[in-house]
Amino acid sequence: MKKDFLNYINKANSFFWVSSIVILFTLIIILLSEAYGLNLVSTSFTKVLGKTLCLCIVALAMDLVWGYCGILSLGHFAFFGLGGYMIGMWLMFERTKNIVVESTQNNILPLTETEINEAVGTQIFGVVGGAEIPLIWYFADSLLIHIILILLVPGVLAYIFGWLAFRSRVTGVYLSILTQAMTLALSLYLFQNDSGLRGNNGLSGLQNIPNLDDFSQAELSIWFLILSALTLIFTYYICNLIVNSKLGNIITGIRDNETRVRFLGYKVESYKLFIFVITAIISGVAGALYYPQAGIINPAELAPIASIYLAVWVAIGGRGYLYGALIGAAFVSLASSYFTGGQIPNINFGLFTLKWVDWWVVILGLSFVITTLYAPKGIGGLIERIFRRS
Amino acid sequence: MSVLLEVNGISVSFDGFKAINNLSFSISNRELRAIIGPNGAGKTTFMDIVTGKTKPDAGTVLWGEKNLSLLRMNEAQIVEVGISRKFQKPTLIETQTVFQNLLLSLKKLRNPLSTLFYKLSIADENEINIIANEVNLTESLSVLAGQLSHGQKQWLEIGMLLAQKPNLLLIDEPAAGMTAPERKKTVDLLKKLSKNQSVIVVEHDMEFVKSLECRVTVLHEGGVLAEGSLDYVSQNDKVIDVYLGR
Repeated sequence: MKKDFLNYINKANSFFWVSSIVILFTLIIILLSEAYGLNLVSTSFTKVLGKTLCLCIVALAMDLVWGYCGILSLGHFAFFGLGGYMIGMWLMFERTKNIVVESTQNNILPLTETEINEAVGTQIFGVVGGAEIPLIWYFADSLLIHIILILLVPGVLAYIFGWLAFRSRVTGVYLSILTQAMTLALSLYLFQNDSGLRGNNGLSGLQNIPNLDDFSQAELSIWFLILSALTLIFTYYICNLIVNSKLGNIITGIRDNETRVRFLGYKVESYKLFIFVITAIISGVAGALYYPQAGIINPAELAPIASIYLAVWVAIGGRGYLYGALIGAAFVSLASSYFTGGQIPNINFGLFTLKWVDWWVVILGLSFVITTLYAPKGIGGLIERIFRRS
Repeated sequence: MSVLLEVNGISVSFDGFKAINNLSFSISNRELRAIIGPNGAGKTTFMDIVTGKTKPDAGTVLWGEKNLSLLRMNEAQIVEVGISRKFQKPTLIETQTVFQNLLLSLKKLRNPLSTLFYKLSIADENEINIIANEVNLTESLSVLAGQLSHGQKQWLEIGMLLAQKPNLLLIDEPAAGMTAPERKKTVDLLKKLSKNQSVIVVEHDMEFVKSLECRVTVLHEGGVLAEGSLDYVSQNDKVIDVYLGR
């Protein structure tokens, strides 16, 4: 029976199992929520949970590209951030425009289009000393186009980068360094005031959804939780489909013996590119759901360290196990916000005080080392071993 | 008999060392050929050039009736025109089962989307069973390739070549790590294959080459030293000097 269970969580059925848990979890939170339930779970904590689901989505992407295809990308959080920026532009523009129009409602003459744009420009870009709306905001008033951009921008960037890198047969640690350089370059560029995305101020006020002013933050947090949960389930379905198909065999083949796959007649570069682009798009979608819940995005979010954390989550959760990536991302990111949130009192040892905020990184680093040494397959591998033994 | 592969005057050097020096070689349709030669004679480099892993500095490599230049193709395209290769060291996807290894080798569309939506058909399953039977791995279909014995790994790799239905098989040291009965079976299999396809076997073991009963090409210092039946080349003075020993 144990073996049946093992097969159950490993094979295509793990989709059923994971989606059930996610749905159940979401329903429980709704029941306990401030907006629609017993008011036992605060709005801010609902947002933390919703954001955690988005981090689970990007962890799935990382597991697919690293755990299954063997590409240690240190750039997937950059795609996540780009997705966030793409939705952020629409959110910020539309809301500022609504505020401008609202505040001048009592004017005798209604504002012209140019006047509105100028006012919006001053509102948004005043902090970086400008009033002009940059060209990249051209479509900022169209939600539909920006939803397409959420998929397109990370996808195209990943395509160009991947095409150049994989075609030159850059692999292993060199590829990781390249992806990290890409992330750093993007982050540094966004820090510039004239990048057109408000430099280090980033985009803010993203928690206010334009045209949905009737909904309170408590209600919105629940709707974002539901949306994140559904996207997570959909992403899990896609990833599960990929890893259980012949394509899945090929990408794990590339991970384990690239030469053989190449000399079986498969264009290894196309496969890597395919997986790299798909996972970049998934990351972009996750980011677009994350930042409206976080409320603010700035270039620091795209810094290479974030992508390294992502690799750590997947390593702790278990490379090559989709459910492992979920466990890793959920567990580590929740623990991270718990320990760095300042809720636990510091421990005074007399000579020195243990400050959790400072020591959390050390604990995380230690657990990464311990995982690598004693459970190279992470939590997913441990789960498998426990059930296989008994 | 028409020429299947024609290699003309190829040369390649690595850091000044001439691995292949003005080598010419050709093989006909449905021919079995053995290539022998001492270590460093350029046998593996020759295969690297034919399969697109290494590009030569000079020379041409022409394929088939249409005289396609293989030098302009990448590895995957060369497999597509019908050249498959078995490496000296068994090269398998060790983390996957024998069945999965054979499934990946089957001659099917090789782009990401068609593999994503691929469904295993009964015909494909039968084909895999037939190939597994041919290389004596029917019992081991669900075993991980990494857990096979060395001889079985060699066979699985040959089976993976069969699954690709190539016109030319390049087989590097098939007999290594095999017991005497296994060798005999391998010889029989290679002979049988050469009824429908061309086969080039690189081998050190003279007994094995002898039992193949085919033409032999002797390589030395990156060029062809002698070519003909085994008896003929083994009486060649130069061959005796550099390879067989007096």
